Amino acid sequence: MSFYLSASTFGAVLDMVTDRVSTACLLALLSQFYRPGLVFLVLLGLDITSHWFQMYSSFLSGKTSHKDVKDTGNWLLKLYYGHRPFMAFCCVASEVLYIILFLFADEKSTSLLNVCRGILKQSPLTVIVFISTLVGWALKQVINVIQVSLKQL
Amino acid sequence: MARPSAEKTPSVYLYIPNIIGYFRIIINFIAFAICYSNRVLFAILYFFSFFCDGLDGWFARKFNQASTFGAVLDMVTDRVSTACLLALLSQFYRPGLVFLMLLGLDITSHWFQMYSSFLSGKTSHKDVKDTGNWLLKLYYGHRPFMAFCCVASEVLYIVLFLFADEKSTSLLNVCRGILKQNPLTVVMFISTLVGWALKQVINVIQMKTAADACVVFDLKRSK
Repeated sequence: MSFYLSASTFGAVLDMVTDRVSTACLLALLSQFYRPGLVFLVLLGLDITSHWFQMYSSFLSGKTSHKDVKDTGNWLLKLYYGHRPFMAFCCVASEVLYIILFLFADEKSTSLLNVCRGILKQSPLTVIVFISTLVGWALKQVINVIQVSLKQL
Repeated sequence: MARPSAEKTPSVYLYIPNIIGYFRIIINFIAFAICYSNRVLFAILYFFSFFCDGLDGWFARKFNQASTFGAVLDMVTDRVSTACLLALLSQFYRPGLVFLMLLGLDITSHWFQMYSSFLSGKTSHKDVKDTGNWLLKLYYGHRPFMAFCCVASEVLYIVLFLFADEKSTSLLNVCRGILKQNPLTVVMFISTLVGWALKQVINVIQMKTAADACVVFDLKRSK
C-alpha cells in the first residue's frame, strides 16, 4: 500500500501492480485451502475488477492517482478517500484477515465457516481483532463493488 | 452522481456486445463454481466464454456498438478468468509458484500496457504500431498470430487442468505423460507450448516497453 507520495509514474504503477498481484496470489492460496474456494476466486475477481475500472475512469477524467477521488458523490467513497486512516484501516484489515485465514487453515478443516467459528472461540482479544478485520474487510469489499458500479466509462 | 450524458449511459450498458460480456461473466462464474466436481464441463464453459469473447467484438463492429465500457469489461473478464484458472493450476500442480508467477506476469504486463497506452493517448492496448520491437510488431500487426498465441495459452492451461490428477502433482511428470500420447496429441501439445511461450515472452517485452514509456512520460513532463 502506498501511503507515501510516489515520486515517479513508474513507481506508482509498480506499487499498484505489486499490491494487486500479491493480493491475488494470497487469495489463490486461500481458494486452495478452503471450501468453497469460489468465495476467494470471487474476491480475487472483485479486487482486480474494481481497481482496473477505477484506474481507467481516473485516466478518462484526468486524475493522476486513483486515490484522488474527491467529487464522487457517494458518501462511503468520500469517507474512504477523504480520510486516510479509514482507508488504511480497511486495507490493512483485509490483508490481516486473509493472513489470519491462511495461518489458521489446516488439512482437517477446509470449511471456511468452521474455521471462522473456531477463531471466534479463542481468547477475547483474538475475537476482537478478528471481528475488526472482518468489519474492515467487508467495508473494503463494499467499496470495491461501489467503485465498479459507479464507473461510467 | 449526476453526469451530463446520463440519458445516454443506460443504453451503453444494454449494448449487445456488453450483454454478451455479462453473459461471459455468468458463464465463467458457473464454470468456476463447478470446476472441482466436473472438469470437462468447466473446460467446455470456459471455452464457450472464450468464444463469446471473439463474438462480442464481432457484434460490436457489426452493430457499431463499440464502447469504452465494453472494452474494459472485456479486458477485465479476460484477466480475471485467466487469473482464476492459474489459481486452480497452482493448486493442482507442484511447484504451484510457476502458476502464481504466470498470474503475476499476466496482470502486470497488461496493467503496465494499459497505463502506458493512456499516457501516450492510445485507445486500445492493441493499437501498438510504433513500438520498435519486432516481436511486438508481429504480435500486434498480425491478428492471426496474436490469436494463435492467446488461444494456445488458454488451451495449454485447460489441457493441464484436465490432465491433473491427485496422484501426480508434478508438472514435469504430467507433461512427460502427455508427450507419450499419440502423435496428434503431441503435436497439438507442443504447438500450444510454443504459442504460450511466445505470449509470455511478449508479456515480458510489453512490460519493459510500457515501463520505459512511464519513465519517458515523467522525463517529458519535468522539462
